[in-house]
Amino acid sequence: MSDALTTTAAASVSDGVATGTTDPAGAGRDLDVILDIADLSVAYATGSGDLVAVKDVNLQVRRGEILGIAGESGSGKTTMAATLLRLLKKPGRVSGGTAQFFPGSAPEGVDLLAITGNRLRRLRWSSLSYLPQGSMNSLNPVARIERQFADVILEHAPKRKAELPTLIPRLLQQVGLDPSVARSYPHELSGGMRQRVLMAIAISLEPDLIVADEPTTALDVTVQRVILQTLADLSRDSGVTIILISHDMGVHAQLADRVAVMLDGAVVEVGEVRQVFHQPQHEYTRRLIESIPKLAGAAVGVNAGHPVATGEDDR
Amino acid sequence: MTEPADAKAVRAAETAVAAEAPDGAGASIRAEHLVQRFGSGRGAVLAVDDVSFELDREPARIVSLVGQSGSGKSTIARQVLGLQRPTSGAVTYGGKDVLRLNRKQRSEFRRNVQPVFQDPYAIFNPFYRVDRVFWTAVRKLTDLPNKRAADEAIRDSLRAVKLQPESVLGRYPHQLSGGQRQRIMLARIHLLRPQFVIADEPTSMLDAQTRRGFLDILQDFRVRYGITTLFITHDLSSVHYLGGDIMVINKGRIVEQGAVAEVMAAPSHDYTRLLLASVPAPDPDQRWTERIDIGQIR
Repeated sequence: MSDALTTTAAASVSDGVATGTTDPAGAGRDLDVILDIADLSVAYATGSGDLVAVKDVNLQVRRGEILGIAGESGSGKTTMAATLLRLLKKPGRVSGGTAQFFPGSAPEGVDLLAITGNRLRRLRWSSLSYLPQGSMNSLNPVARIERQFADVILEHAPKRKAELPTLIPRLLQQVGLDPSVARSYPHELSGGMRQRVLMAIAISLEPDLIVADEPTTALDVTVQRVILQTLADLSRDSGVTIILISHDMGVHAQLADRVAVMLDGAVVEVGEVRQVFHQPQHEYTRRLIESIPKLAGAAVGVNAGHPVATGEDDR
Repeated sequence: MTEPADAKAVRAAETAVAAEAPDGAGASIRAEHLVQRFGSGRGAVLAVDDVSFELDREPARIVSLVGQSGSGKSTIARQVLGLQRPTSGAVTYGGKDVLRLNRKQRSEFRRNVQPVFQDPYAIFNPFYRVDRVFWTAVRKLTDLPNKRAADEAIRDSLRAVKLQPESVLGRYPHQLSGGQRQRIMLARIHLLRPQFVIADEPTSMLDAQTRRGFLDILQDFRVRYGITTLFITHDLSSVHYLGGDIMVINKGRIVEQGAVAEVMAAPSHDYTRLLLASVPAPDPDQRWTERIDIGQIR
């Protein structure tokens, strides 16, 4: 099924937003690609044989883009993220494929699935970073926020120790937090503030790629909007590439440049966001979009009388 | 390990003996000036601040109570179910304070007002097959004549919520998906045919498709069996999909209420507008153009 997929599915975009050019396999590496996932399969060993969670995924992530990965729970999207971050736990294992990563620090490329030890450690946070689920308690409850920044920065970039006193406040401001938050403990912050702290940690070493796994799940809708807004700002201002995993199609519609749809471990469709929403190629994508209850005519701006966006009739 | 509070609530509903007669038909639930204060002194939190509303049976309605975490909506659910004594004010069922019902009235209340909670996993005992959820309900709350009739009723209820009896009966809770577990709670409702369902964030752990199926069943229960639902949620899309009435709660106070279609088309309160503007429209041509000021919210 997946061999029918061209990873650069920009071919037929109706509204004139042409993106990228096709790079047939073997025609030399496309400099535009920061991560090239090829034939990736991941399986979980169970008592009654292997359960394949990710099936022959081929996907190219372009430098600077926000690539949304959509799909319901059980579709394999979180397993894929964990695999790329090398956080896959037993009994899961990579049963095939490669993930060539081309960060600024290693333009010749490294296979994320093969590197180990010090090379992996150097890559983490400084080139490849992670923004965990909004609902997860990813901060150390007994350490002040500044300690948690220092832990990450000193572990992965010890030379920057002298910068810490200026770096931490700057990072906090970048995600819309007051620098005084550095002195707080996690329990003193709201869920939205904690998620913004995690975002600031994720960008602290100026990574090339951030994998964000359901970053707004379990957050209130207004907080979600602010987090998404901040994520979009980061992408625009720093050019960082973001893989955004979410089951919420609304999140992809708002943020993603391209969207890949996963079903039963396989990527069944990938394309420019407008194409995926307006001309879904796969039946499953169509159902996924149709299943969203729409607030038709309810998109009312914060300031009365100013609609957030135009209606449907302009397409 | 202590038993999860939600499990206690369902158990409480079941410790009541089956009422002899389904009297109380037409009974409504009224929340009258509910106040809930937690803690005291400077650390006191006013979780519910003078909330009043009425849930009628005729015609059966779906009334959504919408607000963010910490807005007080779950506390209201617990007050309505008689699980939380309000600091002041009262919840009445058929005109009587739900905390002062006599034995017969209480069993009637517990049979006719059924809870559904956010995490269906928490109310199952992990060591028993899911069948037990039904058999306990059958024994305590219904008057089915024999095991054979009860078994048939259970299977009917499972089919009514689009579950195949063979694929869930005999299984343990962990062997079922979140969507299946939540449907089992709906099958239980189908079996008991209460007058009211108090559903506290029942869909927040479900996928979009599963969620829609769940909402369709609530709607079906309203139309077919005249069940009125208090649907507590932070998800405005679900509220829009369900229709009926909406109450918007912010910091313990109901700031706006009315028919869903009207409130959503022309929200009159700033907070309602903010909520509506924060729902990500599933259309790349309707991206947010204005920014929400971070100072507005935490």
